[in-house]
Amino acid sequence: MFAFQSIWDVLFLIALVLAVAPFFGAYLGRVYMDRPAFGDVLLNPIERTVYRLLGTSPRRAMSAREYMFAVLLVNAGVFAFLYAFFFFQNLLPYDATAAPGMGWDLAFHSAASFTTNTDFTHFTNETQLSLGSLVIAWPLALFVSAATGLSVAVAMIRGFVRKDGTVGNFYVDLVRTISRVLLPLSALFALVLVLLGVPETFTNYVIAHPITGGTQEIFLGPVASFQAISFLGTNGGGFYSANAASPLANPSALSNLFGVFVMLLIPFSTPFAFGQIIRRRGESWPFMGTILIVFAVALALFITYQAALNPALGAIPSLGLSPNGYPVGQETRFSLPEASLFQVVSVYTNTGATNMQIGALSPVAQLVLLFGMFTQSTPGGEGTGFGMLLLFAVLGVFVGGLMVGRTPEYLGKKITTGHVRWAALALLVHPASILIPLVVAVAGGFVSTASVSLPTSAHTFTSVLYEFTSESANNGSALAAGPFNDTTTFFNVAGGVVMFVGRFVPIWAMLKVGGMFSEQEVLPPGPGTLQTASATFTVYITLFLIIVSVLLFLPVIALGPLAQIVGGP
Amino acid sequence: MSPPGPIAISGPRRPPAHSVGGHVRAAGLFLVAMIFVAGFAYPLALTGIAEVLDPHAAGGSLLYHNGTLVGSSLVAQNLSRPYLFWERPSLTDYSFLNGSPSPPGPSDPALRALINETLGWMRAYGNLTVNATVPIWWAAPSASSMDPDLVPEAVLVQIPRVAVATNLSIADLQSFVNKHIVTSVVPYFGISYVDVLELDLALLPLIGR
Repeated sequence: MFAFQSIWDVLFLIALVLAVAPFFGAYLGRVYMDRPAFGDVLLNPIERTVYRLLGTSPRRAMSAREYMFAVLLVNAGVFAFLYAFFFFQNLLPYDATAAPGMGWDLAFHSAASFTTNTDFTHFTNETQLSLGSLVIAWPLALFVSAATGLSVAVAMIRGFVRKDGTVGNFYVDLVRTISRVLLPLSALFALVLVLLGVPETFTNYVIAHPITGGTQEIFLGPVASFQAISFLGTNGGGFYSANAASPLANPSALSNLFGVFVMLLIPFSTPFAFGQIIRRRGESWPFMGTILIVFAVALALFITYQAALNPALGAIPSLGLSPNGYPVGQETRFSLPEASLFQVVSVYTNTGATNMQIGALSPVAQLVLLFGMFTQSTPGGEGTGFGMLLLFAVLGVFVGGLMVGRTPEYLGKKITTGHVRWAALALLVHPASILIPLVVAVAGGFVSTASVSLPTSAHTFTSVLYEFTSESANNGSALAAGPFNDTTTFFNVAGGVVMFVGRFVPIWAMLKVGGMFSEQEVLPPGPGTLQTASATFTVYITLFLIIVSVLLFLPVIALGPLAQIVGGP
Repeated sequence: MSPPGPIAISGPRRPPAHSVGGHVRAAGLFLVAMIFVAGFAYPLALTGIAEVLDPHAAGGSLLYHNGTLVGSSLVAQNLSRPYLFWERPSLTDYSFLNGSPSPPGPSDPALRALINETLGWMRAYGNLTVNATVPIWWAAPSASSMDPDLVPEAVLVQIPRVAVATNLSIADLQSFVNKHIVTSVVPYFGISYVDVLELDLALLPLIGR
């Protein structure tokens, strides 16, 4: 019997986010276009003071190149601070758990991981991270990386409504993202998490004396505030190494569903922010449609294959099989559809938080998660996911225009070779930054446990593929630490480089394309203009995205997850 | 179709909005301010509010027995004594210090071996009859290895062992367990389960420990 008892809460939650998203998206659009918005009375004077201190002003708009320079500068600063903090964490205050300083390669991987909104961890939080690193260093990246992603997406969108070659002021965008979106909302959401049972304290750990004897160190800290910004910013880093599976970070079905809401809020609102910024609400729906179609199919497949009984366990005598799905690597307090919803949302928004063990999932469920990281845009990470989707649309309009013989123009801006070149670069750098290190790792004998080189079974291959895909997509979920050892210098360095490439090359392409649009005049719509606010365009973009992603990744899928699905080792 | 106007590919390059020094100043000051906001002001303010809002939850939902801190209702611990109800198995020995290992994948032979080993152990130490059915949610490792909850049928199946070890009647234990089943406050949200540590703490006074 399959647990349909709680499919209603899953549908309710998605409906709730969809009901809020148009309003919140419109609010985001007003914030970024400096149109009157809620909170102006309180925040405008504060923000003006901050701009003055930073030596900038909303009137000082940047070109795409200058915007990119500012993005790199701020993110380099975050990286440097994190790297130094992790390297010297044993000498810095707040190291009550006596975590040693990180080695150069682990510090590099970790700092790169948090700076790029990936939050892939090659360490155990509870033993290898000081509370200072967890509470002071890491949250800087949680906020700034999320704000960077949103700012970049907005800068790209501005290209459609400007004619002067500018895309906005990065410092102003950062400040407004923090003051109007991330800080107030994560504070509010953190308090909700506390009410749902999540700890929020400055006690590092307590020592309990279990009733059967011995001692148990219970690791605590400001968990709720950390988890709130981690979900809201689609970072996905967990306060605990068990991430959102940890009962302290995610204590109940309600906190689990609330986490889903928080993760979905900004990615589902960004298409509506786009409609608000370009002042054409109808243009949001093709993107929302694409996101929803891909997401719904993914969720349905995931739940169906996780509900199926594992034949290997069915053969064990007198094991009582369960009406509530497959329990291995799952937590009791979530029903199967709730747990699945969280996991699919987390990976498809490139949050990468896990409330289950992905390594224990069925190969089909693993493939569903991989596909979300291949597209990176349904809905994808904070800002950058929508940016990727816009790049898909630019390419799609260009290809479609060629097929039906119409002028390739989108929202009154003509698509030229320059746009297509940069959009294609952003699309191609993703498979390149996955496949090249994958081949080097597998062929170069870097995939090993401890000292033994592993035979490259399909499962091991999938694990390494998942590792680099997660890093290149800036996702951060891991298939498992089990099948191979990813804490080696090779995987730290290669992973760090992959995360930087997978983050900043597409960002550069987004800004470049936005900047090129911003230099163009707006063409009046003619009879030859492609109607983009239509169901036809929605279906077209959806198929375009799926076909391109499948074509890019089919060979590598065949070697890993597909081989497992048809019964490989 | 109206003729497209000339496209201004690039006019005269606009001068940068900021000098390099201006950028360094803006980025540097922004980061310093954000370290203060994200690393200090934000968690400190929230901790202050949280401790007023819900001190029990903010402190980690800690549980005490006769004045001793025995654990958290959100963290499983090793309770495998004949007179207690047991938790789900843990791959980390119920410790925060052992990371978050994954159970074997579904087609991995190690999975069947692990479940069989757990079942064998439960039979050997748990007074389970040979034919007793062990609910899979009790024998399978969880995601966090810290899962403090069990589905009700996995608690009920342990009653014969607890009854023998504690001299409580099976009927009494059944109604005791039924009283501790947590059901969701909101219809359709979540499932019914039992928090095993809370259950065992409530059991201790009944058996005079």
